Amino acid sequence: MARYTLQRLIYMIITLFIIATATFFLMKLLPGSPLQNQEKLSPEQQKIILEKYGLNDPVPVQYVRYLGNLVKGDLGVSFQYDNRPVTQLIGDRIGPSAQLGFQALVFGTIVGILLGVIAAVRHNTAVDYGATVLAVLGISIPSFVFGGLLQYYIGVKLKLLPVAFWDGFEYTIMPTLALSVFVIASIARFMRTEMLEVLGSDYILTARAKGISGFGVIFKHGLRNAMIPIITILGPMAVNLMTGTLVIEQIFAVPGLGEQFVRSINLNDYPVIMGTTIFYSALFIFVIFIVDVLYGLIDPRIRLAGGKK
Amino acid sequence: MTEKQLSPELFELATERQGDMEKINRPSLTFLQDAWLRLRKNKGAVFGLIMIIAITLMAIFAPIMSDRTYKQQNLQHAKLPPRIPVLENIDWLPFNGKDMNGIDVYEKRGVKEYYWFGTDDLGRDLWTRTWYGARISLYIGVLAAAIDLLIGIIYGGVSGFYGGRVDNIMQRIIEVLVGIPNLIVVILFILVFEPGIISITMAMVITGWVTMARIVRGQILKLKNMEYVLAARTLGASDARIIGKHLLPNVVGPIIITTMFTIPSAIFTEAFLSFIGLGIRPPEASLGSLVNDGYKSIQTFPHLMMIPAFVISLLILSFNLLADGLRDALDPKMRK
Repeated sequence: MARYTLQRLIYMIITLFIIATATFFLMKLLPGSPLQNQEKLSPEQQKIILEKYGLNDPVPVQYVRYLGNLVKGDLGVSFQYDNRPVTQLIGDRIGPSAQLGFQALVFGTIVGILLGVIAAVRHNTAVDYGATVLAVLGISIPSFVFGGLLQYYIGVKLKLLPVAFWDGFEYTIMPTLALSVFVIASIARFMRTEMLEVLGSDYILTARAKGISGFGVIFKHGLRNAMIPIITILGPMAVNLMTGTLVIEQIFAVPGLGEQFVRSINLNDYPVIMGTTIFYSALFIFVIFIVDVLYGLIDPRIRLAGGKK
Repeated sequence: MTEKQLSPELFELATERQGDMEKINRPSLTFLQDAWLRLRKNKGAVFGLIMIIAITLMAIFAPIMSDRTYKQQNLQHAKLPPRIPVLENIDWLPFNGKDMNGIDVYEKRGVKEYYWFGTDDLGRDLWTRTWYGARISLYIGVLAAAIDLLIGIIYGGVSGFYGGRVDNIMQRIIEVLVGIPNLIVVILFILVFEPGIISITMAMVITGWVTMARIVRGQILKLKNMEYVLAARTLGASDARIIGKHLLPNVVGPIIITTMFTIPSAIFTEAFLSFIGLGIRPPEASLGSLVNDGYKSIQTFPHLMMIPAFVISLLILSFNLLADGLRDALDPKMRK
């Protein structure tokens, strides 16, 4: 286990290094200059500005400096917000995104598990079919379509919830719903299959034969074992929530990291794009790492391929 | 109870029909015929298949049949709501040419023509644009899946078949690639190369082929130690022949399933890129860019978003349903 963890840790670092390098060189290839009103500035002024940001040095020098700063946790300064450090920018913006992601994950997991368990227990009935249809729809309808529809019908037409912006809990309800649809759908699908398999196993039969109530068997014996493999879909889920926040924050005008990222893309703010990319990647890689390690720890039946060698 | 006398005439010789017992009465089915039989029983998959065919046909023929092109502007006819002959007489359907306030815009502006899906703010026909967009979305989805397929099969096939050091190195490369979030690569790639059909497709392929390669490798690893492969090798078949003729045909099931799941996710990714402003540039259109454009005026002209949003959701749904059905049909062992 320790060896496997170490191996994964090394991969994690290599992957991050490649991402950082690729990001750096792709940004160097980008068309467009970060200088605003370039034509109005005299060559001397341009030179001073470029000098200030270290953009005049040869690319290898910039690259080494960039990597060195990265190790120290310095992601550079933003062009668009007068030299504000990118780390500070990310720190300011991460709150709403994290809150949305967390709420969607918790809400989605609870609803998804319930839906999946009910579908499995009522296997091959109208309830089961209903839940299955809902789950397929949830996976298929893009989150931005769902977000737009929610905003239009609940916010604009029925005026039940605020249409957009970020000013208290009721503002988080619609974005959370829109984000959680995919979580609900994928967990429900997964839960249903796992639950069906677990409910068919011998120890469930034993438990029933011993006279434990149906409810107790389902939740104490069934659910516990059915929930283990859910850890495996946490990775794709994290990616989906990340993608989701990019569009959902746009739609609902949430001042989060996703909205900031999209804006920086449109404004050619390289340091912010680079910093956010690396931040997102690191987050993602870390989640995958944790998931892999957890999976081996939680379920002793699973012998990881790397650990056996 | 009546007693019955048993006479020798009642008996027949058994040996004469013994050969018939071994006779196979049903025609034997090939793998694909068998899969098709199973697929046909799955209502969702059949619905998906029919919808995909219908949308594909519309995407090919609707823009050709229409006398308006996807980029033709007519400012006098801008922002018209949908109006379809016959259906316009049914009040509760949104195809009567009336706007949000119930005013018949066609009558007010004296427009004689019918715009089945209405028009956008530049007077472009949404019917043509929606189906043209569906064409682009399908094209990107299928192209990305096809390239993934090609790279994935070659890479996975070579890696799985040769094993040893080759496999080890190739797997290390894949392990690093898998760790990179797809989305980040796509966004960076599009930023550097101008958004267009090819660049969007290529961006998705960069990390997309890994899934296919892993699946092919896993299958090949499982199959290559089977006796029939040994037999082929003993008979002197070359490596290329063993991979192409003996191994790949047996991996066809998982390959088809993976491809069918890749297409909707590519269509989704393209739509997502359009939504954050990195998609197809106007006057070109994809379903995603149409939803994005329509979203901007959702409060006043909801049809501009609703129609493309409905088509793209239906398209992704159909692919998912068909892929689910295919998974059950092609590989009964995987069925849960």
